[in-house]
Order: sequence, then C-alpha cells, then structure tokens
Amino acid sequence: MIRRERAGDRREAITGYLFIAPALALFALMGVYTVAYGLQLSFVEWNGFSPTRTFVGLDNFKDLLWADEALSRSVHAAVGRTLVVMVAAVVPTVLISLPLAIALNSVGRIRGFLQTLYFLPYVTTGIAVFFAWRFILLPDGGLNAILETIGLGSLAQSEGWLGNPGTALWATTAVLVWSTVPLGILLYLSGLQSIDDGLLEAARLDGASSWRIATSILWPLLRPITALLVALVLRAVLQEFQVFLLMTNGGPLDKTTTVSLLTYRLAFSDNPAYGYAAALGWLLFLFSVLLAGASFLVLRRKA
Amino acid sequence: MTRVRRWSPLRGAAGLLLVVYGLISIYPFLWMVSGAFKDEREVISSGSLIPKHPTLDTLSDTFGKLDFGTYALNSVIVTGVSLLMILAIYPLAGYAFSVLRFPGRLPLYYLFVAIFFVPGVTTLLPLILVQSELGVLGSHLGLELAFANGAAPLAIMVFKTFYDTIPRELREAARIDGCSELGIHFRIYLPLAKPAVATVAVIFFVSVWNEYIVSGVSLTDPSRFTLPLGLQQLLSDNVVQWNQVMAGSLLVVVPVIAVFVVLRRFFVSGIQGAVKG
Repeated sequence: MIRRERAGDRREAITGYLFIAPALALFALMGVYTVAYGLQLSFVEWNGFSPTRTFVGLDNFKDLLWADEALSRSVHAAVGRTLVVMVAAVVPTVLISLPLAIALNSVGRIRGFLQTLYFLPYVTTGIAVFFAWRFILLPDGGLNAILETIGLGSLAQSEGWLGNPGTALWATTAVLVWSTVPLGILLYLSGLQSIDDGLLEAARLDGASSWRIATSILWPLLRPITALLVALVLRAVLQEFQVFLLMTNGGPLDKTTTVSLLTYRLAFSDNPAYGYAAALGWLLFLFSVLLAGASFLVLRRKA
Repeated sequence: MTRVRRWSPLRGAAGLLLVVYGLISIYPFLWMVSGAFKDEREVISSGSLIPKHPTLDTLSDTFGKLDFGTYALNSVIVTGVSLLMILAIYPLAGYAFSVLRFPGRLPLYYLFVAIFFVPGVTTLLPLILVQSELGVLGSHLGLELAFANGAAPLAIMVFKTFYDTIPRELREAARIDGCSELGIHFRIYLPLAKPAVATVAVIFFVSVWNEYIVSGVSLTDPSRFTLPLGLQQLLSDNVVQWNQVMAGSLLVVVPVIAVFVVLRRFFVSGIQGAVKG
C-alpha cells in the first residue's frame, strides 16, 4: 500500500518536471544565460567592437554613482527625473481611475461599451499611439488648437509641448498616465464588485452621504487594490522607456531621459559603453526588487 | 420591474465624467483617423479634426510606401508564432505548479515570478549578444524565442491562479476513470480556463504586436521588419508627412482593437480572476 503510494508520488513528480520542462528549457536558453552574461558584463569595460574586455571590478558602479563626474551627474539627474515621473504618474492614475470605476460601476446597459472605450489606450500602447500624441502635441497640433478655441490661447505652447524643455516631461508623463488609467479602472472595478452591496445599503440608510461612503468605506476596503495598482505603475515607470524613447528620445536638453532610457542609450548609441549599461541595468534591477518587496509588504499588511 | 432612478447632481456629474474621459481615451485615435484622410498640406495647416478635403490617397500611398504589406505579414508571423509558443508551453507549467506535487515546486515557481522584476533593459544587451551567439540575431525566430521567454512570469501566474480555483474533485474523478495527467489537463482543465487563455492571448498579442525595442535593435534587414519598425521609418524621413504617419499608425492599431473587442468579455473576467487570486 505504502509502496504503491510512493510510486504514485514519484510518477506525479516526474510528470510535474516534464510539464515544466519546456518552460525551463526556454528559460535556461534565453533567461539564465542572458542574466549571467549581463552580470559578467557589468564588471568589464567593453565597447562591443574591440576583441578585448578589461575586467574592472566594481569600477563601473563607482563611476556611475560618483567617481566619473560627467557620467554620475547625468545618472543623478536621470534618477531625479525618474522619481518625479513616479509620483507624477502614480497620483493622477489613482485619482482618475477610482472615480471613473465608481461611476462606471453604477452604470447599467452601456457599461460594456464604455469599458471597451476606456480600455483602448491599454491595448494599443506602443509606437502608434505615441506618434499620434506627438502629432497632437505639435505647435500646430490638436492640443494648442483646443486651448485657442476655448480661450486659453495663452497656455498654448508655440514650440510644441514636447519641444519646450519646461513642458516635455509633464507631457510625456501625461501620456503615460493616459495609458495606465485603464488598468486602474479594471482593478478598481473588480474590487468594487467584490464589495458587499448590503454594507453600502446599510450606510445609505444610516444617512451617510455619497462622499462619506466613498472616503470611509470604499477607499479603506479598496486599499489592497490601490497598493497593487501603485506597485504596477511604479514598475512601469522604472522599466518601460518606450514612451520616452519614441516621443522625445530623451530630449529636449535631456529633460526626459529617465534611468531606463539612459541605460538603453549607454548600450545602443554610436559610442556604446556596454559595461556601464550592464551595471546601470543591475542598479535599476536592485531598485525594482526593493520597491517590489516594499509594495508586497504593504499589500500583505492591508489584505 | 424597472427601477426608475431619480436624477441627482451627483449622477449627472458621474455621467459627465464618464463621457469626458471616454473622449480623452479615444482622442488620439480620432486624430489618427482624421490625419489619415487629410492630404499632406491640410494635415500641417489645419487644427480641425474633420478633414475639409477628405482623400483616400493617403491610406493607399502609405500602404504602398515602404512595403507595408510585408511588414504586416511579418507582424502576423512574429505575433502568431510567439502566441503559439506561449500557449503551448505555459498552460502545462501552470498546471504543474497548481496541481502536481514535486520537490522544488515552490522555489521554481517563485523563480519564474521573480523574473517579472528584472527590467527588460537590464537583459536587452546580453539578449542581443546571446541571439548573435545562437545565430538567430536578426531573424524572426530570435524574437519569438525572446518574447515567449519574456512572457513566462505573467503567463504562468495567470494559469496557476486560474487552475487553483478548479475543484480538485474533478481531477480525482478523472484519475479514477483512468485518465492520464496530460488528458486531465487538455480535456478538463484547459477547456475550463478560457478566460485565462483569453487574458494571456490578449496581453501578449498586444505587447508582441506593438513591440518596438527588442525588434528595433535586433532586426536590421528591412524585409524582416514588423509594423512598428515600418512606422518608425516613416518618421525618419527628412520631411515628416504626418498624414502618412497617422495612416500608418491606424494600420497598426486597427487589428489590435479588433482582437480586443472580440475577446473583451473573457479578457475582463480573466484579469479580474487573476487579481482576486
């Protein structure tokens, strides 16, 4: 009896390994080797063309953080910008998607239609919509035209919203928010649907105003969802740089160069520095892990 | 019985909010359509959304220019093969992590989840070097392998959390009837997991179809370019013809929108299931 059970266990284990074998094989090929290679690169100096790679220990990390004056200055500026974008993307995403989800949750028949509409920015995020936004943000583009039509012509940007170093970062961050709000709406909507209607009905009977219900009941109950949304948006800001690459390529005057875009530029430019690029990539990874750990702790405590 | 709801300022405000944000959501798409039907002079001179002299020439010129037909075909191939790989590999892995018991199950699962936090840009450079060592740099296969591997954390998580919700009794009953694990997975679990399949399909259809960075640094032969790279070429002309850029953008987003509209119902329930899990 026991022996047969053991044989069953062993067969189940073998089946388990066989089932994950394709995933593991692919990961060994494209993942493990890539990660190990990347780690090794972060300790060498190499321009990608020359046959020699010089082992430099931790020098790449030191140069990036403080030792090389020009380089560390651009890294510090990129870190500052990335932190600004994190805050400027997270707060509006939460403040826009929560009210929209609450409003959407009270709608009956046309909810599906509206959901499709709101979700378009998420499913189309990429080069095509970024180019459309570039077109809209041009000096003669749609945004300036609207501002002039409604009598706010003084706010219009004559160099274009992406051409003016003072507005470029805000304009790209706004496009980033536009593409993350759908995820917020979807997450909040699923949170709202799991809240007991009786609870809200009881509060209403007790004479609680809608504002009171939103702030004292919905907001605390939805806190785990908010934590998850914040974590996902922060991850996107840290890791995604398509929006910056394709809308401004980091300009004007480097005003929109974030850490991940800087990493990309160090590796893929006319004058590549593979060691610096790999080292900065790992610093970015460390920061992502710390952030993920922090948001996981917050999530667990509230849940 | 229909409940007639009273109009209140709050409901009015909610309705207004929904309409205004609906417009903001589709605003760039309106400009894509508008630009795609304007000629090259009107597109830079007029801030009007509705073309005064609508023309079909822009769309046909754009489609002919730069061989957009080839790019579209390449996009379909890369996206299709990547999706096939993803949907062939990860449901099985999700089943193993959810249902089967074997030593090392949890550490391996967390290993896959942890990859989610490795920034793409960290592995981009070594990925290109590895592709070149494997001899797949610049080929579609190199991209498809990379995209399938990149899909691992999310796809495994979605399938595992969905399979976790399926009652174990189903598997026990099937086993007593002499069904193999492979049979249980393909005949019972996978058919029940349609929302998970739709979620994974939509997420990775969208991200592979729109992918620009890895394709951009790895493909060099224009005959292998995908649509996003073709679109990029329109912008690298000396004088940018924005009407053609908008027409090209429209060609890129229309298939994505079509797929999403068809699969939306499954997709929404799949994401919501994954969030609760």
